Amino acid sequence: MRKLLAWLLWLWLSAVIVGAFLYAPLAKGFIGQSSRILFFHVPMAWVSFVAFIAAGVWSLLFLRGRDPKHDRAAAVAVELGVLFGVLATVTGALWARVMWGAYWNWDPRQTSIVVALLFYGAYLALRSSLEDRDQRARLSAAYAVLGLVVAPFLFFIMPRIMFSLHPQSVINAQGKVEMESRMVQVLLGGSAGCTALFFWIHNLRCRVQALAERKSALYE
Amino acid sequence: MAVFAKEWRGEFRTRYALNTLGLFAFTTLVVVSVSLGPLGVSLAQGTAVLPVLLWIILLFSAAAGLPRAFVHEEETQTATALRLAATPSALFCGKLLYGLTLTFALELLVTPVYVAMTSLTVKSPGLLAGVLAAGGFGLAAGSTLVAAIIAQARAKGTLFSVLAFPVLLPLLLIAVELTRGAVAGDAADVALLQLLLYDASVTVAGFMLFPVVWNP
Amino acid sequence: MVTGGIGWVVAVNLIIWTGLFLYLLRLGARLRDLEKKP
Repeated sequence: MRKLLAWLLWLWLSAVIVGAFLYAPLAKGFIGQSSRILFFHVPMAWVSFVAFIAAGVWSLLFLRGRDPKHDRAAAVAVELGVLFGVLATVTGALWARVMWGAYWNWDPRQTSIVVALLFYGAYLALRSSLEDRDQRARLSAAYAVLGLVVAPFLFFIMPRIMFSLHPQSVINAQGKVEMESRMVQVLLGGSAGCTALFFWIHNLRCRVQALAERKSALYE
Repeated sequence: MAVFAKEWRGEFRTRYALNTLGLFAFTTLVVVSVSLGPLGVSLAQGTAVLPVLLWIILLFSAAAGLPRAFVHEEETQTATALRLAATPSALFCGKLLYGLTLTFALELLVTPVYVAMTSLTVKSPGLLAGVLAAGGFGLAAGSTLVAAIIAQARAKGTLFSVLAFPVLLPLLLIAVELTRGAVAGDAADVALLQLLLYDASVTVAGFMLFPVVWNP
Repeated sequence: MVTGGIGWVVAVNLIIWTGLFLYLLRLGARLRDLEKKP
């Protein structure tokens, strides 16, 4: 059963990739073929935020039930959040270079992803500095929940501030551009696919970690 | 309240936090005002940059002074006694009040001197007072909770900055924008409400998360 | 290097997707290995 799902996922993602290159039209006003990268950049950024929320939710669940499964889930979510976040940042920066001539602009989206990465980094730093397993789970869960509380301010306040400070700032066009339906399809398909990919990798890593932990416990 | 009083008594005996805070704030103040005061930089550049630097000074002074709130207990092993004596909420309240008084004292000291030394003309002093009050509150609240979290970890100094910065970032950004507005003469902005909302959220989160952090 | 051409887009995607694919393969292998030993 799992094998089948895995193949389905890869098929879906392949379809998205092909679609991004061949099926969807180029966005107007973009330089050359560069807009194609957005079909991958946007889903990855989206997944990075999904990871943020997921880590927060799992941390809350852990604090309620103290089930180590939830702590593990939160930690893995953060690690994957870093992966997707870095990928999103890099693809975004490359695209920004083509579009606006500079790798970095501190426009709201770029800033949000950086802050998310800062949170992830802090979380992982905290975890690595605590050795006792229960303590580590407890404290990192608390921090993740704090992050969840602060998150709305970051992701909704940020754009407001940026725009009021620099009204003529570079506005990333994919926000308000009207998109042809094909583009929307590929974007949504990509987002769905990457989200599924996230949970798939997450599931695998959690299982690996759980088994590895149990195994090392057996040999002690 | 008893916790608060005890905190201050301990503090006056060592004066550690006050000294660190004060020293840091003063040094950075001098550096900033010398290089960016009326003789150093034009008026336009000054008004753009100075609000930011004020908050940077406040932030780093707080980072120098506030994390110690819990470390003292861990080091002297009085933590267990404290766990028995006070409820988590009371303890957090006491620590928070301590942090608040430190922060507000810091702001009261730094801001007038800063404004004077850089010859910054603030056109809406009321707004500035509001920003400092709301912003300072958020600084203290966030820092107290993070301090509690790292109290039991190892590399405390750097860990505090790493953990606190993302949490305090929205606070800082809003505060800087509002301070700029205060300098320019704006009236109170909806951003001030957002700041207060942030304060409320972080404080509530602090009260709810502290028992988790404090009790094993 | 980074122009409006399609070259770099393809390159970046190749790296990302092959990387992810290989990573998943390795994870799967590790999982099977762990689940096997009694």
